[in-house]
Amino acid sequence: MSILEKILTLFRGAATEAGQSIVDKNAVRILDQEIRDAQNESVRAKDELARLMAQQKIAADKLAAKDAKKAEYEGHIQRLLASGDQNLARDVATKVAQLESEVGEEQKSSTSLAAAIEKMHGAIKTADRRIAGLQQQVDQVKVNESVLRSQAAISARYSGQNAKLSTALDSLDRIKTRQVEQSARIDAAEQLAKSEGDGDLEARLSKAGLLTGGSVSADDVLARYQTVKVTQNAPAQLAAPDTSAAPAAANAAAKNA
Amino acid sequence: MLEMSLREPVLSPSLLQIKDYAAMTQPWTTPALFDALETHVARERLPMKLALEPGSEPTISIHLPEHGDLAIHLAASGQQLFVSTPLCFGSEVNDRAKFNDACLRLNPINPLSNIGLQSFDGEDVYMVFGELSTRSPIANIVEEISMLADNTLQAAQALQSFIQRA
Repeated sequence: MSILEKILTLFRGAATEAGQSIVDKNAVRILDQEIRDAQNESVRAKDELARLMAQQKIAADKLAAKDAKKAEYEGHIQRLLASGDQNLARDVATKVAQLESEVGEEQKSSTSLAAAIEKMHGAIKTADRRIAGLQQQVDQVKVNESVLRSQAAISARYSGQNAKLSTALDSLDRIKTRQVEQSARIDAAEQLAKSEGDGDLEARLSKAGLLTGGSVSADDVLARYQTVKVTQNAPAQLAAPDTSAAPAAANAAAKNA
Repeated sequence: MLEMSLREPVLSPSLLQIKDYAAMTQPWTTPALFDALETHVARERLPMKLALEPGSEPTISIHLPEHGDLAIHLAASGQQLFVSTPLCFGSEVNDRAKFNDACLRLNPINPLSNIGLQSFDGEDVYMVFGELSTRSPIANIVEEISMLADNTLQAAQALQSFIQRA
């Protein structure tokens, strides 16, 4: 079972069965054990590799010695044949033949040994990579756990001893409460401004038509200009207080112009 | 000119700013990241309150007053920085299957962050989280944090109908 499958199984167990929460708590320890097992395996593989390499070295030495011996005997054969000692030459040749077959045999086993070593190297590399990956996953599980733990500690610090982990929903609630508070505060401020600065009274007075200072209409502005022009030409009309006189004054002004 | 200013014992403010956007030559550790973040947040006047939570696996807690006091946690481990905040409890969800479906659909459209499930003291907690390389520049980390906060609140809003609050 892969490590990820194992993690999934552990947590699935914790989610479905209440009694399994103990597994959940031990998850990190189980994963740590997994890593230790993998590490031991890797160490064993490395020992095995060392043994194989030693074996290969010994075999290579033996092979070299046999090769040297064969070369030496071959030299002898040539000299014996030259001196006409056929019998001894035959004996030496028998020895060379035996050596040759031995060398062939040993070369075959040395090749297979080299292949085994190559394979072992690959296996160790894979195991070490797997251990590094496992370690990373375990670190991540631990960090996630500690992140949650300090999150819970902070929630408790902010809102009392027995507070649960505070979630985004709490924040959402707080934002909503704050928005309500804020709009209430704005309303209150408006109310306050109205009642404080005689705003209310002034508003009532202006409604009653007693205050003209507040709002200025386009008609008021127009009237102001018209009176000014009239004033320039006919100062006598200055006395006219009501605005109903204004259109007449405007007409007069237009005629004058 | 640039070389001369780089030789100064204290980097000039403009160079410091450049540094915040440059990839790191060394991976962050949680305490080193805390110091750098604190400096950055103070200089940029960001609305974040930081604290280093000590422990065998130290974490950085970040309070975001403009996000309804959302608390985000940040920790460096090995090759990655882990930024996360709890979304809701599994026990608060009405229909887990539908909720999971909705979360999986939200995941691909959530920029820079994901929704996940974690066990905590035997209880399931849905998390919104993001992962960054431990060699990320400060500016990217800060971007991740504020993006995570926005995404979390948006996800909470979007998933509200599935959640029954105690």
